Amino acid sequence: MAGADLAAPGSGKKKKGQKRKAKKRVNVRIDMTPMVDVIMLLLTFFMLTTVFKLPQTMEINIPPDSNISVEVKMSELMTLRVLADSTIVYNMGIEDAQAITFKDVRPLFQEKKSAIPGLIVLVKVEREGSFSQMVDVMDEINLADITRFSLAPYTDKDKAVVRKLRGM
Amino acid sequence: MIRKKARVNIHIDMTPMVDVIMLLLTFFMLTTQFKPDVVAEVTLPVSHSAIKLPESDVMTIVVTKDNQLYMELDSQNLRAKLFGEENKLKLGIQIPDKNTLADLMIKARVANPKLRTVVRSDKDTEFGQIEDVINLLQKVKITRFSLVTMLEES
Repeated sequence: MAGADLAAPGSGKKKKGQKRKAKKRVNVRIDMTPMVDVIMLLLTFFMLTTVFKLPQTMEINIPPDSNISVEVKMSELMTLRVLADSTIVYNMGIEDAQAITFKDVRPLFQEKKSAIPGLIVLVKVEREGSFSQMVDVMDEINLADITRFSLAPYTDKDKAVVRKLRGM
Repeated sequence: MIRKKARVNIHIDMTPMVDVIMLLLTFFMLTTQFKPDVVAEVTLPVSHSAIKLPESDVMTIVVTKDNQLYMELDSQNLRAKLFGEENKLKLGIQIPDKNTLADLMIKARVANPKLRTVVRSDKDTEFGQIEDVINLLQKVKITRFSLVTMLEES
């Protein structure tokens, strides 16, 4: 185009006999507003409905019958009582109970797991406790790679242990 | 005195904006995973467990914060069979008491032995309620089940 302009300076019209015919450039302007509207709508829809975090699951196995008794060594058994006020009272075998908080559970598990390879953990959650407490403790057990554990009901005996500990 | 406003015909070139928006739209359309439908809303507890929730053959037992029990089944046929034809299109039904739940669990397992059991509960649900459900599962010989949790990053 620029070349054509140079060839005929000052004249607006081009001669018809020119070899190269300049293409007619039509300046098309499409009004994109409706399209943008629709796209924005779709975008907001997808942004609002999308979830990046989908729920995962945690597998739990329970013994088929609660009356089956398994003999375990007292020295390998750790009883963990989770109280509703999120204190955790634990004891090894027949040793005395100790009260700890939830954040001490991870180091405790690591320590005991390395000391006793065949560690068995018995988890007793108070009925008044919350579901998340149980999930948290189960999560710690899974993280510590403790394969032998069991959920047991929180009994009067456990209440007595806690009472004794609190009384001292 | 009203002065006539000069009307300037502004033409904004929207092409770059449209480009960017289209890009975003494609991204969201491709990555989107719709929120799974639930019969009752619960706040899930968090854990480090990252096992995917199975997509089919799932029986979900929902325990809400106010101790309401629900049962969800993902297959329409099974729902028609267990919950009655009128509840076929509903995701799940509310269970009035624990004996009914045990009964329904047995029936569901008989109808579809491949059924996997999932327990979904609010993080603030009293543990006693969960314990009851677990005892019930033990009674109906479902020894393997999953708890629905949210993945915690750390």
